Amino acid sequence: MIEPTTMISTKAELADRLAAGPSSTPAWLAELRREALDQFRAIGWPNLRQEEWRWTNVAPLTKVAYRIPAPPDLGLPLEEWREQIAPYSLRLRGWRELVFVNGTLIPQLSEWAGPDLRISALSAAVDSQSALIRRHLARGVALAQDGFTALNTAGFQDGAFIHVPAGLQPDRPLHLLFFTPDHPGPVLVQPRNLVVVDAGAKVVLAHSYAGASRQPALTNAVLEMVLGAAAQVELIQLQREAAAAFHVSNTAVQLERQAAFQSLTVNLGGALVRHNLQVRLKQPGGQATLLGLSVQTGRQHVDNHTLLDHASEQCRSSELYKSLLGGRAEGVFKGKILVRSGAQKTDAKQTSRTILLSEDAVMNAQPQLEIYADDVKCTHGSTIGPLDEEQLFYLRCRGISVAAAQRLLTYAFAGDVLNRLRHEGMRQYLETLVRGALKGLSLVEPPVERKPTREEKSTENS
Amino acid sequence: MPLLEIKDLHAAVGIKEILKGINLSLRAGEVHAIMGPNGSGKSTLAQVLAGRETYTVTRGEVRFNGKELLTLAPEERAAEGLFMAFQYPVEIPGVSTSYFLKAAVNAVRQYRGEPELDAIDFLKLVREKLGLLEMDPNFLSRPVNEGFSGGEKKRNEILQMAVLNPRLGILDETDSGLDIDALKIVAHGVNSLRSPERCILVVTHYQRLLNYIVPDFVHVLREGRIVKSGDKSLALELEARGYGWLDGPAERTEVLSYGF
Ligand SMILES: Nc1ncnc2c1ncn2[C@@H]1O[C@H](COP(=O)(O)OP(=O)(O)O)[C@@H](O)[C@H]1O
Ligand SMILES: [Mg+2]
Repeated sequence: MIEPTTMISTKAELADRLAAGPSSTPAWLAELRREALDQFRAIGWPNLRQEEWRWTNVAPLTKVAYRIPAPPDLGLPLEEWREQIAPYSLRLRGWRELVFVNGTLIPQLSEWAGPDLRISALSAAVDSQSALIRRHLARGVALAQDGFTALNTAGFQDGAFIHVPAGLQPDRPLHLLFFTPDHPGPVLVQPRNLVVVDAGAKVVLAHSYAGASRQPALTNAVLEMVLGAAAQVELIQLQREAAAAFHVSNTAVQLERQAAFQSLTVNLGGALVRHNLQVRLKQPGGQATLLGLSVQTGRQHVDNHTLLDHASEQCRSSELYKSLLGGRAEGVFKGKILVRSGAQKTDAKQTSRTILLSEDAVMNAQPQLEIYADDVKCTHGSTIGPLDEEQLFYLRCRGISVAAAQRLLTYAFAGDVLNRLRHEGMRQYLETLVRGALKGLSLVEPPVERKPTREEKSTENS
Repeated sequence: MPLLEIKDLHAAVGIKEILKGINLSLRAGEVHAIMGPNGSGKSTLAQVLAGRETYTVTRGEVRFNGKELLTLAPEERAAEGLFMAFQYPVEIPGVSTSYFLKAAVNAVRQYRGEPELDAIDFLKLVREKLGLLEMDPNFLSRPVNEGFSGGEKKRNEILQMAVLNPRLGILDETDSGLDIDALKIVAHGVNSLRSPERCILVVTHYQRLLNYIVPDFVHVLREGRIVKSGDKSLALELEARGYGWLDGPAERTEVLSYGF
């Protein structure tokens, strides 16, 4: 598919390399990749002049000469790989797990036995499940959306294909782990996942991205998911990339009648991170809950863009994104709610909350409502500010030190998101991870007197 | 030696002076009441004693239990045995009342060089105090003050006081928002905390509470100064006559005996 260990630098060189690689089979996929490549050549990387990218400057990641890593050739003994991925693995917690190293599935590190779910590498499924994949691949994300989705479609290495047949409710949740080991130079890893959940099925799925690379690796991931009527999905995305890593993800979810989707996006790692999450409520009665939690320090930049596309009537959506920013961290949240004409009785609620734990941390939060129906209820609110002075004083008056009070309040702030997770095991796991991350934040001491900026708005049309 | 001694205390917010020379002495075992109209500086005094950084102490000194109180951080004051029940208790979503109480008890114990309470001893302690205040144990699992009624918040303050076992309890308008039954329960809780080692400073706008928590001394605060002091009958007089008769040039008074 792609020549191993190829050096690439500019957009054009990158495109040329991808074009020069051996063409994919089947023919429809080769054609799709060619089309995507043309798109990438035409639109290239996003820039600050584009409305959707005005808060996130991707220039640093466009200037790196990436290598497209060789399919492993595991090199190291299996035991050493096991050790490397152990901190990120959920197998001991009873999850099925597909482990991808450099974007390629490593069956020896994975375990997904069970007669119920249909799970395989996407690369294998394009032959065996061609019709199903053809129906859904690259249908959720528009190639023209930005250079990243086009680039992924043109050059994705591999990923998971998951098909949950109608009515099935597998007892074990599934984890996709994408691991980028340390490389001598920068690498580009492009995972591509497709999840088809048929009517009435119910599944818990996590995808996590972790790395050990000391070089500026770029993970450019795409996940597309479709939920059939009354299907229920809980999707957890856990971004724990290496400190020097760039991470871009595009996730597109489509819901049919009465389907229910809940996502949680957790950010603990990475240097420059951008997530686009779009959820399309295609048919009446759909429900979507989008949760986010970012704990950032140093100069970490994390951008969450969400789009809730109410394309049908009587759908409900609710969104809660929270960030805890220390050091010189930068956060971005842009949540768009689109209520198309005819999507009457829409009920959409969006909230973003940020605690700034340092004077130098910055948050940009922006809701965007586009409403073309007249009988809808949409509310949004956002708060950005330091830890609450009153709460800190109250705790201190009861003998609790500044540091302990800050810890208590930050845990509670994060816990408010984590407590909404339905999968109890995952909730406990994330609680431990998040507590660890919060301990690493340098907190303000003593607390600074600063009024939070508060802005609560609501739009109601009835 | 008084347990708490306040001398010529002045405090301001920005350039606005609120406390204009407070003198007050509390001995162990005594209960004092501070009464005064709204805006006279009662809460400011309570908050300054607790260590609120919003207020700048511009003059004066405060000794508590032999220490310079004003040099201590709020958490140190608490650990030294000062407790202030808030007029407006703060809601802390996401932190359960039991977690909060345990963190507080153990922080104070740690400061005093005492071993931390384990879960069992802690529960025993809290259960006992809950009983004292006729509070449902369900209370413990609810987030601190969130969604509490006014009365529940005030009871929660006294529960904290009972659990933390301070030397000095400052109760800022603990009676406001309580119906008569709740008032009796809270007063009973406070009275059971009266002891020869402890002193209590009751801050209130109305005399009503003082029918149930009977003070040894009553002080009237007006425009940042104590303009009159007396025994419990002063409270009754204020109830009957209001604060108006105290208008005029503020006088500095020592503790006077009033008999009617
Ligand atoms: N943080 C503050 N900023 C500005 N003014 C304040 C502040 N706190 C108290 N004050 C003012 O100080 C005066 C005394 O207030 P307070 O101590 O709350 O009175 P009380 O408790 O007796 O009703 C009032 O005029 C009040 O407006
Ligand atoms: Mg007051």
